[in-house]
Amino acid sequence: MIRFIAKRLGSGLVVLFVVSALTFTLLYTSSGSIARNILGDQATPEQVALKEQELGLDQPLVGRYFTWLADALGGDLGASWFTSEPVANSLATRIPVTMTMVFAAMILIAICATLIGVAAAVKRGWVDRVVQVGAILGDSIPGYVIGVFLVTLLAIQLGFFPATSTISPGVGAEAWVYSMTLPVIALLINGVTGGAQQIRSAVIKQLERDYVRTLRSRGIGEREILFKHVLRSAAPAGLTVLSLQLIGMLGGVVIIEQIFALPGMGPLAVTATGQTDLPVVMGVVMYTVVVVITVNLLVDILNGWLNPKVRVS
Amino acid sequence: MKLGPKAAAAALVLSASLALTACGGGGAGAGSTAAGGKTVTALTLGTLRDIANWDPAQAHVGHALQPYQAAYDSLILREPDGKLSPMLATEWKYNDANTKLTVDLRTDVTFSDGAKFDAEAAKANLDHFKKANGPQMAQLASVSDVAVVDADTIDINLSAAEPALEYFLSQAAGLMGSPKALGTDAIKTEPVGSGPYVMDKAATVKDSQTVFNARKDYWNKDLQKYQKLTLKILTDPTARTNALVSGQIDATLLDPKNGKQAEGAKMKLETNQVDWSGLLLLDRDGTKNPALADLKVRQAINYAFDRKTILDQVMLGQGTPTSQPFGKDSGAWTEELENYYSYDPAKAKQLLKESGFEGNVTIDVPTLPGAETLISVLQQQLADVGITLKPGAAITNTFTSDVAAQKYHALFFNLFQGEPTVAIDQIVSTKALYNPFKNTTPELEAKIQAVRTGGEDAGKLAQDVNKYVVEQAWFAPLFRVNQMYYHNDKVNVTPQAQQAVPSIYNYSPAK
Repeated sequence: MIRFIAKRLGSGLVVLFVVSALTFTLLYTSSGSIARNILGDQATPEQVALKEQELGLDQPLVGRYFTWLADALGGDLGASWFTSEPVANSLATRIPVTMTMVFAAMILIAICATLIGVAAAVKRGWVDRVVQVGAILGDSIPGYVIGVFLVTLLAIQLGFFPATSTISPGVGAEAWVYSMTLPVIALLINGVTGGAQQIRSAVIKQLERDYVRTLRSRGIGEREILFKHVLRSAAPAGLTVLSLQLIGMLGGVVIIEQIFALPGMGPLAVTATGQTDLPVVMGVVMYTVVVVITVNLLVDILNGWLNPKVRVS
Repeated sequence: MKLGPKAAAAALVLSASLALTACGGGGAGAGSTAAGGKTVTALTLGTLRDIANWDPAQAHVGHALQPYQAAYDSLILREPDGKLSPMLATEWKYNDANTKLTVDLRTDVTFSDGAKFDAEAAKANLDHFKKANGPQMAQLASVSDVAVVDADTIDINLSAAEPALEYFLSQAAGLMGSPKALGTDAIKTEPVGSGPYVMDKAATVKDSQTVFNARKDYWNKDLQKYQKLTLKILTDPTARTNALVSGQIDATLLDPKNGKQAEGAKMKLETNQVDWSGLLLLDRDGTKNPALADLKVRQAINYAFDRKTILDQVMLGQGTPTSQPFGKDSGAWTEELENYYSYDPAKAKQLLKESGFEGNVTIDVPTLPGAETLISVLQQQLADVGITLKPGAAITNTFTSDVAAQKYHALFFNLFQGEPTVAIDQIVSTKALYNPFKNTTPELEAKIQAVRTGGEDAGKLAQDVNKYVVEQAWFAPLFRVNQMYYHNDKVNVTPQAQQAVPSIYNYSPAK
């Protein structure tokens, strides 16, 4: 198992390196006159030239990449061109907000999707039909529409929750929970309906397998078959779906954070991209890649743990 | 017990998540009473974006100035109607040639780090602004040097007359930071000024909120109307509306669409016209689009638009149709140019016929985000007179450099209507970004020069420049847009001339 993890970690690091080099090259060669963006529309050509020099944009690209890489390995991701705030600081204040929301949503998705999916697969009939219709509805309504609806109803009309974030340094856990509830619900609805549908299919597939028939013929109870054998075999499919949802959620969370004005990665990504604040954009890309690699690694490990055959292959 | 380890794993993840959830906890919530039990008067404003850098030399103009006003005093105070009043400068006077401005300064002001404000500090700030390469560096481009006359007087020497200098000293160039902090890295993330408020660094989160507390013993209590000021950064207009309607913020800028919801919740509206919307017909010499070199074609474009109908349908009537790019507050505005190009499709067709370009005019414009509907209406109205408008790719973050590189021969845009020389340097003069083909004539140059040396008459003299660009159809203005600033009934707000968002001094608790 340790060799398995080491191998996966190694390939993750290679991906991280390749993505960083590619992103750096693409960003720094195709972003127009950044200096003018920083200085605004009143800037003279002389000012623009001076700014380019200040930012080191007149230096060769390869040299700049390796300087960035060396600094990044030491934990220094540079500083924003627009605000001078160190990128590592920006990420450190925002990642907890986004990841809290994503993790809370994922845990709830995992629990709800499994319960609903298994219920649909086992009970079939009307339960199954409701889940199927729910999956279509859930998939067709974007998270931000649900978000806007929730704000209008639960925040503005009824006043149960704040309409926008109340998270700030020093506020208690209560403010976090209040601020996070609506965004988490907006995020998880698509995930639950989609996940339940996949888990339902995986469970049905297992229930139709020969080993289930054999177990039943031996007189083993349905509950034991379901929880001890079927769920274990259906887990890899479920985990893969959840991991894909988590990765997909990184995109959806950007819009949700904008709507709820949460100080997470979303606004940072939007602002940095809009301004062509390349050191920050690089930081955001690296964060995303690290999350994706970590999620994949965790899913691989979990799958390996659940199903030893995976480790061998 | 097969499920044991898995259940434990789930519990671990759940508790980690709860721990994360609580990781912001600890301190007391933002209370509404101060330590002594006295009620804190707090103002919370929804702002469109965070500022980039707290170094006063990196400050911007107009509504982007608001956060800086909390921390920094400026040499000159700009009243809501645009009148200039004393602030850190008590008096200022030009010499006869308008090339030297002598400024008398206050002597009773200190910065939040204890440094004293005096002539040396003012000089240090102006010198710093000149060399810091900030976005508004052009404001002091005409300043050759700053001389300290005595402890409370400076001379600002100019290489050429600059009628907007006093205005600039009420804007970015006039902000005074502590001379001890200027040029340090610390001032980039935490302001050090003599202003009415001091940043609460611990409660401030970049791109989320900036919190200020009233400064004790501030020299001008009239300008310090609150004990706590929070600027909540709400980029999304829907989020701003929700925050306002639900009482999380006291005031913010909205648009006609979201304004309806705010009105439904009984929010009060202050309107103010700051920008004009319309087409900039940039390639007036026909370098890339020969048709645009013909005055008759440019005029035909102007006659093709039914401005009133477009305004009513697309902007829900929030604005005033106009044919001129200069604003009412600039002094360059005249009544006669307001409806210079009325809606007259027959005349437009006639002009096109006379120009010889009939059926042969195609204008490419980039697509301004959010302006898609408007652009398609313009496309329709131009098509009605036989002109093809082709909306191109969306405006991207390379927009300014693309404009400078003459990529666009025409543009649809919203532009600020500033002071006469500010507006001229933005859209008319050969150094203006929005005159990328550097079109000019000796006649126009003479008019611009008259404005530059015109001193107090600059606004009136700029009427000639305005008239020239309208007659020559340099642009096809459509309307001045209403800035819609909404607030609740806990706060009184006075709009500020030429600013979408009022200055920080224009808010007071409602009685």
